[in-house]
Amino acid sequence: MTMSRFTVPVLIVGAVVLPLATGNTYLHHLLVLWMLFSLLALSLNIIIGYIGELSFGHAAFFGIGAYTTAILGMHFGLPGIFGLFVAAAMAGLFGLVIGYASLRIEGPQFAILTLGFGSIIYTTTNYWVDVTRGPMGISNIAPLGVGGLFEFTTAIEYYYLALFLVAGFGYCCHALMQSRTGRSFIAVRENASLAASLGINVFRTKLLAFVVATAVAGVAGAIFAPYLTVVTPEVMSLHYMVAIIIMVIVGGRGTIAGPILGALIYVGILELLRATGPLRMVIFAGLMTLSVIYLPGGLISILKRKIHIGGGVTDQPPKPEAKQ
Amino acid sequence: MDIETILLIQQIMNGLVNGMTYVLIATGLTLVFGVLHIINFAHGEFYMLGAFFTFFASKLLGLDYVTAGILATVAVASLGIVANRFFFWPLRREHEFTLLLSSLGLALLLTNGGELIFGADPKYISSPFADGIVAMGPMILTQQRILIFGIGALMLVLLYFFIQKTTMGKMMRATAQDAEGAALTGVDIRRVYTVTFVLACGLAALAGALVGPTAMIYPTVGSWAVLKGFIVVVLGGLGSIVGALIGGLTLGVVEALVGGYISLGFAQAVGFAIIIVVLLWRPNGLFGVARRAG
Repeated sequence: MTMSRFTVPVLIVGAVVLPLATGNTYLHHLLVLWMLFSLLALSLNIIIGYIGELSFGHAAFFGIGAYTTAILGMHFGLPGIFGLFVAAAMAGLFGLVIGYASLRIEGPQFAILTLGFGSIIYTTTNYWVDVTRGPMGISNIAPLGVGGLFEFTTAIEYYYLALFLVAGFGYCCHALMQSRTGRSFIAVRENASLAASLGINVFRTKLLAFVVATAVAGVAGAIFAPYLTVVTPEVMSLHYMVAIIIMVIVGGRGTIAGPILGALIYVGILELLRATGPLRMVIFAGLMTLSVIYLPGGLISILKRKIHIGGGVTDQPPKPEAKQ
Repeated sequence: MDIETILLIQQIMNGLVNGMTYVLIATGLTLVFGVLHIINFAHGEFYMLGAFFTFFASKLLGLDYVTAGILATVAVASLGIVANRFFFWPLRREHEFTLLLSSLGLALLLTNGGELIFGADPKYISSPFADGIVAMGPMILTQQRILIFGIGALMLVLLYFFIQKTTMGKMMRATAQDAEGAALTGVDIRRVYTVTFVLACGLAALAGALVGPTAMIYPTVGSWAVLKGFIVVVLGGLGSIVGALIGGLTLGVVEALVGGYISLGFAQAVGFAIIIVVLLWRPNGLFGVARRAG
């Protein structure tokens, strides 16, 4: 462990004072997006980085969380902060069912199967107009509130809520990786049959990771919808499915800082390149391809080489190995 | 025959024609997986390019539909060489996810590059066969749809003989079984990669050129094509051409029936519902071989 014990506190303090450095509400908006996508990318990282499977359905769980708060608010009045728990439970429940069905298969088939589940949820949301209002989406979603005592209205407030969750979840991931359960995730990723022979229930381990990841994605969605006050099925579209994967891969899978960095790059580059129109996705795709080919450990691996953050067996990105 | 039966047969015929498109798309996908063990996310983009090249060849060069379609197929097949050279061949020793993600990057590059160059507005390929009608008793198909089915079937037969009878086909089958072993016995793996991608991209482009006149074309159509391709390939079993044929025709017919009798929206999801059921029952697909977890 070469990471200075001041690195993490300094980064957190930096993140806390960051929005105070500018009064520009547009920049605040970008900060909120960054934190929400960080939470989402961190959750997908559990699947890609820790258990080593590629899920193409993650945006669907983000969408389930978003629609849960939106529908709760529409039919049952103000959901308040409790909506987050319901959204987590809802997304986690879907995650349990879908994970139970698809985790029996691994590798490319698993990726395609999650793509299939994700597309079914997307299509259903698009066509089930009675509940979801279809492609029009649900608008005028009430802001998150705590039982009438406090309401999240400004971008800064949402930023701090999301930052709190990212820091908390990041810490949980770190603690998890120090635990027996976390080590069994890595064992399953590195060699499933060896892990099984050591008494690890591979299927149950993967399912646990999948459910946690989907529940957290649901929470991210449950904040995203009231923050934007509108949700459409587009949050589950192929664009988002791919975007989250890009964040995790470009940032650095299997690490905690990587997905957060990936989310920053995603939000940052898309905004910087806004003027270039459709060219921005071309540049973004090029970046991802280059990163996959030349930096399998993600951008975080450059930082690690330079200033030696992280370390320890669990922070290593999965080593790509040739399989013939 | 009463009207109900006619309607049913008509739906099934339409489904078979759509299914043949899926077969053409999926055959390339399954070939690349079967021989090279690569899941190519960018496969649908070659379908898109086939359609757009046909459009521009007839519009800018003033070629007739058939020449334009052949030219587009050949051009996209040559692009397959380039794609393989830069995105697949250099990564052949990497983890399968690296290849999957690199092909995803290529797919995004081609979709968004296509939107940039071709424009996002839908285009329409004109074909002399689009309006001609062939009546078989009370059932009706356009000449274009007959063409899709006929050429699709012809291509599959040609491909079958290519893989079974020619030296190159035998080299491809050897590579599919064991790439390293094949290389040891003198098979030029690099050429196998090139030929496989040329065939796969050419088939996808041909599908694009054939289907183009029956629907609007737009640059994001590639993701539709690759999703259909995945459904078919997983249904039939990754790597199996017979599986792609049966899977594709089945998907086409089921979608047509669901779309005709239940709802068009549900027809889009039914394919995925089928693969989920099939994979839970037979994880390897109907005709495939895949790894099973745990």
